[in-house]
Order: sequence, then structure tokens, then C-alpha cells
Amino acid sequence: MEQPFNISVSQNTLDSLAQKLAVATLPAPAPVTYTDSALDSEDWTYGVPRPTLERLLIHWRTSFLPRWQEHQAALNALPQFTRSIEVDGHGVFTAHYVHKQSTHNPKGAIPLLFLHGWPGHFNEVSKLLPFLTTPPANAGYPSFHVVAPSLPGFGFSSAPTKTGFAMAQYAEFAHKLMLSLGYNEYVVQGGDWGCFIAHRLAYLYGPKHVKAWHTNMPAGRQPTFTRHPLLYLQHAITPYSAKEKKAVQRMQQLRNEGRGYFAIQSTMPQTLSYALADSPVGLLAWIYEKLVKWTDAYEWGDDEVLTWISVYLFSTSGPETTLRIYYETVHQGNFDEFAKLWSPIPLGLSFFPCEFIDGPRTWARTMGNVVFESDHDKGGHFAAYEQPQALVDDLRQMFGKGGKAYGVVKGKDGY
Amino acid sequence: MAGHLDTLAKKLALATLPCPAPTTYTDSEDAQDWTYGVPRTTLERLVHYWRTSLLPNWREHEQTLNALPQFTRSIEVDGHGVFTAHYVHKKSEDRRRNAIPLLFLHGWPGHFNEASKLLPLLTAPPASSDYPAFDVVVPSLPGFGFSSAPTKTGFALPQYAEFAHKLMLSLGYDEYVVQGGDWGRHIGLGLAYTYPKHVRAWHTNYPRSAGPPQLLRNPLLWLQHLVTPYSAAERKGLDRMQFFTNEGTGYSAIQATMPQTLSYALTDSPVGLLAWIYEKLVFWSDAYDWGDDEVLQWVSIYLFSASGPATSARIYYEIKHSGRSKELINIWSPVPLGLSYFPKELTPVPKTWARTVGNVVFEADHDKGGHFAAHEVPHALADDLRKMFGKGGKAYGVVKGKDGY
Repeated sequence: MEQPFNISVSQNTLDSLAQKLAVATLPAPAPVTYTDSALDSEDWTYGVPRPTLERLLIHWRTSFLPRWQEHQAALNALPQFTRSIEVDGHGVFTAHYVHKQSTHNPKGAIPLLFLHGWPGHFNEVSKLLPFLTTPPANAGYPSFHVVAPSLPGFGFSSAPTKTGFAMAQYAEFAHKLMLSLGYNEYVVQGGDWGCFIAHRLAYLYGPKHVKAWHTNMPAGRQPTFTRHPLLYLQHAITPYSAKEKKAVQRMQQLRNEGRGYFAIQSTMPQTLSYALADSPVGLLAWIYEKLVKWTDAYEWGDDEVLTWISVYLFSTSGPETTLRIYYETVHQGNFDEFAKLWSPIPLGLSFFPCEFIDGPRTWARTMGNVVFESDHDKGGHFAAYEQPQALVDDLRQMFGKGGKAYGVVKGKDGY
Repeated sequence: MAGHLDTLAKKLALATLPCPAPTTYTDSEDAQDWTYGVPRTTLERLVHYWRTSLLPNWREHEQTLNALPQFTRSIEVDGHGVFTAHYVHKKSEDRRRNAIPLLFLHGWPGHFNEASKLLPLLTAPPASSDYPAFDVVVPSLPGFGFSSAPTKTGFALPQYAEFAHKLMLSLGYDEYVVQGGDWGRHIGLGLAYTYPKHVRAWHTNYPRSAGPPQLLRNPLLWLQHLVTPYSAAERKGLDRMQFFTNEGTGYSAIQATMPQTLSYALTDSPVGLLAWIYEKLVFWSDAYDWGDDEVLQWVSIYLFSASGPATSARIYYEIKHSGRSKELINIWSPVPLGLSYFPKELTPVPKTWARTVGNVVFEADHDKGGHFAAHEVPHALADDLRKMFGKGGKAYGVVKGKDGY
């Protein structure tokens, strides 16, 4: 039974947060790496710089938290609901989701499932929604019904309690949610974990239910001669473009310096959980580092950052349950399956310059039946949030009239 | 310190614990399921004990820690300024002896107090025995315990070695021997390599190497390695190493890349710090029966340390980013070396591998003991040092005029 949902953080929780912030202890600043003075707050070499975090902490205590009701109301501007979804072998979950339909085109709008990742959340869809559900009249753009769930363990969905909840289970959860909303056929958009889950959805439930998918995090694997002979050849003879070289370099840098969170979250998430569950400041730093490092010079406002962190802090099962997706997926060997679990349904790729790209385009094309590709000059990992217009343009091109995935959903072409 | 204690009490009172990890056993009530990390039931018990027993009785525990004779002095490290060096300095009880100066080096998440059980065995051997006596120096490494922390980037192995070496010189020990595990082993090798005129021998309970012997670098060992099958114990050790590499190095990955990001959580949350360190105390030891007071005293040294609990993590960052340090970790030194093999060490290596870093004059095998040998099995470690440095030992009399008798 669907229930409308509003985020409503209890006064107890808010008081406890205020008390913790009041006794928050900050670490010493990191060693100086610049020959310049130690006061450079933008030296991110060792991680989030202390002056930056301190400023955010003060803002949290003195401005953001006292005005929490405003920020909560802003989050509640999105229409949210909960309902029960059962996942085989894992019991019944409370699924929390945004569901916004196209009001002027209820029958013909394309059902679109939007999947977040880590440290993302349902609210990443917020800037896309108006464009997708209510495009300007007579502009020739398709309209969509959008469903943006909190993945199990994230936001206001409940968390798995048994080991083994990995890609197939997240896919099942999302798929059953769409079916329960009456969307027997739908398309999927995802980045980060949303990309891997979308890939699995395509494999498990396409082409019968999942008709096409799109990602802003083209991951892919090196083409092998046996699996992707054409791509393999193409990769062998095509030199990397300047953009691709830059992307590969960036990926290398990330691999060397930016994978610590991945290593701990995929091996001992519970050990890390104590610190993140107990320290709002610790949680802020842990996530904020990604918001800055993974975006393309996006100008984060303090309220924006703290609202983002709050979705983690106030989540139903605590911020720590979000870590386990790394543990489960790695231990099931899911990352190696891109090459094997291939789906023929149409796939669209958007390339943003500050995303982590594993390799050149030929690698990304191993992910599926690529019918759409686009290149951008600006944008990073959180494309829907940083570059909503660009992402919307891509979806319009892919799914709109003349697009390669036009009309994939029977009777719902968006017009 | 009073301010610290009040803040700690407040934080413990407000502590929020995470929900339990997913069940991996069919029996969901198993509190000992460490698959995802420290189990909630265990941590909850420790936090409760901290609030209701250890913290109210803190002065007793502080006194216990203060039973070791501790000092501070200034030590300058080239290019990094002057440090406050905090150290234990315990001389041989019997002052007539020509005690061997021994530098004991801890690692992470270790600290100066790891030597506490070892000290009496080294500084006060039974008079009737034929064991040598030592003067022992146990510093807190910069960034740990009550030493000050580096403020400039690039404080890596050569700097830790320089710090320790200058401390020994300043205490009047021109020649000395070294014992170390974890980072202490790496710093020990760095010392042996850099100051061979001063470091007359060294010993480690953490035999490490980059890998098997290489034909060009260690031809004899390479041959030996080729023809000698691994013993059952060595195979078990390799399995353990595999497990550690696959499941146990997350902490090192984050500490070696973004230690500052991690430090906010560990500095602000005593509970988070407890879990972060306690996991190692359990995983890295050989079924050692940790008492609650023991664990919390251990973590308190981190919590109350001079530069905060998380500055210690930076040693991982600095060593990873210093090419010279990586070189030093596997370099060969002619200084006499003793190796003690404990079965539950993190990366138990076969003997032919371990021998690639030095002039091995002593080896000992053990059936019990893990990473924190000095704390877990102090008698076993003391025995090894006595055999190595005592009369008849291969490193007997290495320090001129100070043979321990």
C-alpha cells in the first residue's frame, strides 16, 4: 500500500545532533605541502582541509541546524512515498521513492527509473524533474514519469539485514517497484551504483520490461577479442583522443589516490560504521570530500552540502548501511560481469570530463548496445546535479522524436 | 586533561552506535561474527564499560601508564624543525651491568606502552640466570603518543630513523641495537642501513620482504627458494597473507591516501576510534584475551595523544608517497639481523623471503603469537633477544663494552 511520505526528523534527533556539534573535536591541520603558508585552505592533498571543514561546522551549528525546518521543507518539495517491496530471500523492504508524473501527458509519458549511487541519494533527481516531467510546450521534447527510489540501506528505505544483497537484489527491488507502480515497461537512467544496477536491470528484465537505459558513468571493460572482436580491433588501431588521454590520466590519479574509501567500505564496513554513525563531523568530511573531488569545480553552497549530508545522517537505517553495497558487490565478484551480462536493449552514454572513466570510448561500448553517445565539456560524477540541463538534453535526444531510442516503451513515446 | 575527560564523558553519553552488520551465520545472534568488522554487541559492551568503569576510574589507569619512567626532550630533524620527543627510558636494574642499549620501536596502532611487559624481562633478568641486561629506550614516534607531530609533508622513513637515532645519541648511546615490529621494523631497517656504525644489530618480530628472493639480488637465497618446498607453517602463513591482502588492508588504503578526510571521524568520535583500533587488536593478535581495561587504556593513548588520535595515520601517507621510503623497506643491510616468526603475524612470509633484507644471524620459530608480540607473548620475545644477544648468541657483544653482563 503506497503511503505519502514526508521527511520529519524528530526533535530528539535534532537535539542530539546539536549536542554533538557543540562538543565536536577537529583534528590538527594536515602538513603543509605548498611552500606557501599553512593557511591555504584549498590544499586537498591529504583530504578535506581543516579550515574548510571548520567553516562548514560553524555554519552547521549556527545557521543550518537552527533552520532545519526550512531545509527539510525544501527536501519535502519532491513528492515522496513509501510502499512494501519484497526481495527474494531477503524479506520485505520499505521502499522510499520520489514519484513525479507528467501531469499534462499522463498516458503517453515515458516511465523513467532514476537510480542514485554512493554518496548520492534520491534528491539528486531534483533538478532534472521539472525538465523531464514538464518540458516546455511545443518544443518537441518528450515527457517522462519519473521514479527515483532510495536504494535499500539509503535514504528512507529500509536496509538489508542478511548478507548477499548485491546487484541482482538491488535490481529486483527497483524492478518490482516499477511494476508495483503500474509501469510494466520502462527505461532506466543511472550513475555510480545506479549504472551497475541499471546494467543488471537491463540484463535481467530487458527487453521484456526494461526497454532502454542510459548512464552518465560509462564504465566498461577492455574489449577482448573473443567477446567484442570489432571493438577489440577498433581499440587496437584507434589512437586515444586528447580527451580520452586526459580521462585515462584522471582515472589513474583516482586509482592511486582516491580509492581508500572503496577499500575500507568493501572489506570492513562495520568497523568504519562506528565513526560515521557517531560523528556528524566525521560523516560530513567523509562525504564532502567526494562532493568536491568528484565534481567539475561545482560551486557547492554550504546549505547545499549540509542538506546532502543530512539525507545520510537522518536516513532510516543510519548512514553506515550505505557502505555495505561495496562489500556485497565486491564479494560477489559483480564488477567483472560487465563483459558477460550483456543486454541487447538500447544504451545511451553521456561522457562528462570529470567523471571516472575506466578507459577510452571503445571500453565503454562493451557495456551494451550503444545507440547514443554524447560528449560534454563540463561536468563530473554527479551529472544530474551539476549539469542537469546537459543530461536532460541527452535524454531528450535519445528518447525524443528522431532519437535512436524513440518509442521503446509501447504506447508511451513521451508525446 | 580535565577538559579532555569531560569532553570524553559527554561524547560517550551521546554516542550513537550503528545497527548490527548483516547476518552471515545462520545463527543470527552470534556476537563474534567479524565478517564486516567489529560486531556491534562487542563494541556496545566496551562503550558501556568505558562510560561506567574505565572513565570514572581514569586516574588509576593513568597511574598504571605512568609506572613506566617517561621523559621528553627536544630532537631536531633536518628540514622538519624541532620535535618534542616523548620516550620511556628504563635502565638495567642492576647498575653494575654493562647493559646493552636497546631501542624499541612501535608501529601503528601501537605505542610506547607496548614494551611494558617486555621491559622487566630485559632490564631485570633473574640474577641466577645467564641472561643479558638491557637499557631500554621506547620513544613515541612523531605524531604518536606524547611526541609532537610533523607539520610539513615528506616526513618519511629517513626522518623517523633520524629522529630515533638522534634520540639515542642524545641519551649517550653511541652504539645500540634495535627491536621493532610493524613500522618499527621498517624504521629499524632504515636505521641499520643508514647508521651501520651505530646500529650494531637489529631484531624484528615482523619479518617482511617484497617477495621471494630474486636471482640477481639474492642468488643463493633464490636457489634455496627454488629447491626448498614451503613448510606447512609457511603455507598457512601465505594463506593468512592472502586473507590480509584481500580483506584487511582497507585501513591502510585510506590512511595512505586521504588521512585528513579520515581524521575528522577518528578525532571527533571516541567510539569510532575505539572500533578502528580495536579491530586490529583482535584481528592481528593470536587469540589474545584482551581485557576491557587493557583495550581502553590502549585506545586512550591514541585519544589523549599530544597531536590528536589521527595524526599517527599520516605515516602511511608519507611512506606511500616517498619513493626513497619504499626502497628502504626492502633494502639489504649488512648489520646483523634477528628474525622471530610468529604464526599470526599479518603477512607471515616464508623464511627464504624474509632473509633477503639482511645478514640474518638469528631466527626463531613460534607456535603462538601475532602482530603485537611484545604485548602478547613477551616471554617468547624476550627469550629470542636473550638468545640473540646473550652469551653464546650470534650477536653477543656487538656493542663495544656493553655485553649485558
